Parts: sequence; structure tokens; C-alpha cells
Amino acid sequence: MMATYSLANERLRALEDIEREIGAILQNAGNVILELSKEKTNERLLDRQAAAFTASVQHVEAELSAQIRYLTQVATGQPHEGSSYSSRKDCQMALKRVDYARLKLSEVARTCEQMLEN
Amino acid sequence: MAQQRALPQSKETLLQSYNKRLKDDVKSIMDNFTEIIKTAKIEDETQVSRATQGEQDNYEMHVRAANIVRAGESLMKLVSDLKQFLILNDFPSVNEAIDQRNQQLRALQEECDRKLIALRDEVSIDLYELEEEYYSSSSSLCEANDLPLCEAYWRLDPDTDSADCLSAPLLASPEPSAGGPLQAAAPAHSHTGGPGPTEHT
Repeated sequence: MMATYSLANERLRALEDIEREIGAILQNAGNVILELSKEKTNERLLDRQAAAFTASVQHVEAELSAQIRYLTQVATGQPHEGSSYSSRKDCQMALKRVDYARLKLSEVARTCEQMLEN
Repeated sequence: MAQQRALPQSKETLLQSYNKRLKDDVKSIMDNFTEIIKTAKIEDETQVSRATQGEQDNYEMHVRAANIVRAGESLMKLVSDLKQFLILNDFPSVNEAIDQRNQQLRALQEECDRKLIALRDEVSIDLYELEEEYYSSSSSLCEANDLPLCEAYWRLDPDTDSADCLSAPLLASPEPSAGGPLQAAAPAHSHTGGPGPTEHT
């Protein structure tokens, strides 16, 4: 269901990106230490990955701080009481009307066929 | 910067705790990582033998690596909590989600009703012809008060006394004799007009 709401969940998508970035942080840290453990270290790779690690950590911290700041501004103590129940019920009744019409049409069709057979 | 609204104590405490967790976890990751890098440096002079120093460094690196992983997991948990908080408390996006859902459902309902109305218009034409065919055929056994749609359309004044109003559809009864049985079959309901049986003879 969530995938259908593109605008409403930009923030949730941003948080998912942050999750992926946290995984990347740990991956980078592991790669740096692995590189250091080798006999002959590739310095450029080492510097690049260390820089990526630091940048990722700072980026994640900034993004999460921004999200928490937004929530501080937007959150109230009250529960949200909106719902889409009424339109869902109306739609359900429309679908029931369609089903009923289909049922009646099939009865008419059956009656016509019987008449033709007889 | 927007003014801080008066949040309930629990919500404010919760958001402050999120901030604290974020700061602590990031600090833990950075510190442990830099310490591992520092420990990787090989020193010429050591207080204990090299083997012991090596074992100690090994153990320390394991612990620090475990700390980094723990801090990473704690950050993931924080993100999950933030997502939950966002879904429950971010009113602008909740309102938007509800509006979108209402629009979708309303559009679906209108389409269903529009198609049903189109279907009704088509079917009423066919039904009219079907009923004409049915009630004029010999196989229909209908009561006098059971008017077909076409008959109902033709009949403008159901209380007229004219016997002519009892037209073809009522001739479906196969009773050959006059009188009694047909009188029973054509009861004196108001909308059948005058005495019917005379028509059958």
C-alpha cells in the first residue's frame, strides 16, 4: 500500500536511504581495516575509503538530526483522528452494486437461454 | 527557525532521547574506528613482549570492532523508531496520504456508477424488447395483474373502465371456455379495468 503514495512518504524513503548508508558505513570501515591488515597497502584505496567513511558518517548524522528537528516542529501530543473509512465504504457499496448487477444479468441470460431451448 | 511548540512531556523527552542516541552512536563509531587505526600502528618499544602486545592489540581491536557494529545496529534501531514516529505523528503527510486514498476511492466509485448507468441505459432497451417478445408468446403464463414493461408504458390511466385496455398480454391464458375459470384468472383488480373474460371468447 505504501508504494502507491509517492508524495506522502518522501521522508520514509529518505530514512530508508539512511539505513542503506549506515550499512555502507560499516562496509567501508571493514574495508579500511582489511586494507590496513595487508602486507602492501594500497594507499589511494585506503584514503578513498577512509574519506568515504567519514563523509558517510557526517551525512547520516546531519540527515537524522534534520529529521528529528522536523519531527520536533511537526509533532503534537494528539493522536491523528482522520480516516478514509467513509470513502472506502462508499466504494465498497459501489462494487457491491456492480456485483449485484452482474448477478442479475447472468440470471436474465440464463432465462433467455432456457427460453431458446424450450 | 520555527518556534518550539509546547509538546507533551513524553513526546519531548522521546525526541531528546533520539538526539542523544544519535550523538552517542556516531561518537562511538568514530572513536572506535580511530582507536583501531591507532592501535594498528606498530611500535618499536613495548612494555611487554611483542607477542603479548600483539595479543592485547588483537583483543582490543575485536572489542572495538564489536562496538562499531553495536553502534551501527543501534543507529538502525533509531531509524526504525523514527520511521514509526513519523508514520504516527507527522500530520501533514498523514493528511496527504488520507486525501490521496479518498481521491482514489472516490474516483473508483464514480467510475463504477458511471458504468452502471451506461449499462442500465443499454439493458433497458433490450429488456423492453425481451418483455414484448416474452409476453406476446404462447409460453408465458402470467396473471392479469402482471403487466409487462411495455404494457405499463402504454397504460396511461390504470383506472379506466374500458375493456379494450385488456389487450393482448392477457390473452395468454389458454382457457377456451368463457366465464368462470377466466373470471378467476382475471380477478377484478383495479388496474385491469373492466371485466376481462369477455375478451377471451
